Amino acid sequence: MESLPTKNNEKTVAYLAAIADAGIHNAARGFSGMLGQELSVVSQEMKLLPFREIASIVNGLEEEVVGIYVRSEGDLASQFMLVIQLQTAMELADLLMDQPIGTCRELRSLERSALAEVGNLTSSFFMNSVSNLTGISLRPTPPAVVVDMAGAIIDIIVTATGSLGDWVMMLKAKFALGERAVHADFWVLPDARTLELIMSGV
Amino acid sequence: MGVQVISCDPQDVLVAYGLGSCLGIGMYDPVSRAAGLLHAVLPEQAGSSSEPGKFVDSGVKTLIEGLVRAGADRRKLVVWMAGGANMILPLGSVKAFDIGARNIQAAGKVLEALNLRLSGREVGGNSGRTVRLYVGEGRMTVRKVGEEEHAITVSYS
Repeated sequence: MESLPTKNNEKTVAYLAAIADAGIHNAARGFSGMLGQELSVVSQEMKLLPFREIASIVNGLEEEVVGIYVRSEGDLASQFMLVIQLQTAMELADLLMDQPIGTCRELRSLERSALAEVGNLTSSFFMNSVSNLTGISLRPTPPAVVVDMAGAIIDIIVTATGSLGDWVMMLKAKFALGERAVHADFWVLPDARTLELIMSGV
Repeated sequence: MGVQVISCDPQDVLVAYGLGSCLGIGMYDPVSRAAGLLHAVLPEQAGSSSEPGKFVDSGVKTLIEGLVRAGADRRKLVVWMAGGANMILPLGSVKAFDIGARNIQAAGKVLEALNLRLSGREVGGNSGRTVRLYVGEGRMTVRKVGEEEHAITVSYS
């Protein structure tokens, strides 16, 4: 049976949105930190959707992307996925390694480590923000870097949540770096029981 | 994802994009020319769910029922499957312990119980796949990143 995790009243939604907003902006700061340049939040949205529609938030399920996956365990259990188009990821690797854009032609272990670190920082900054606001503790897992079709990357998330009911809450944000347009999507999917916990603080 | 599609239209191509640990199961009756594709996510349906299509075991059954309603003869069904990859190389604390392998196992079990044989399978490994079922031609193809689309064969990863 479906278990809709939120009581959809305005106060709860506003509270979640405020936490998410603070988290996203802090996440952008974490991401920026590694680049030494200001990353902006282009857009953000919070959705409650049936797990099957997670795929609909991605344009191009066959497109080759880099996904940096982090989980947090403990009281604040959640999944995080930083998603970057392969081409963009290679440019990002160039930026991180201080080399001319276009140098990186392949994501080998050094580039993957750098990208893993970006994912790690982005998620950690998000988590710290939420932790400060809610007083809930967290325990991040090491990041995993996956390079494949976007649809396959989504499977990682869906199979981890699929058994918890038919609904998920997804926070989706888009970051951009100046005119360079380094676009990255950041997805946050808290476990159902974590949502309950956060909402009990309303 | 968690959906199945059935078609008798020869113009149609049924597609399941980016199958990671998910399993794409295609079926075709060459006589009635009814085709169906299931995009299953999890191996077995535990309790009741509003979405039986997302499980391999219930999904295969509802796919066959749908095909029969569309005029197919279940004894003539050609079956292919692809997907079931392990998308996370050892990550320790991740809950989804090789769901891909469990999906493959569940498929084997239900197909055997229903007396259906596989005409082709490309499963396992660590890469995502897209499958296409060409209804008009009654064939299924697979594609991975960096690969050409090719007809599904019998191979193991």
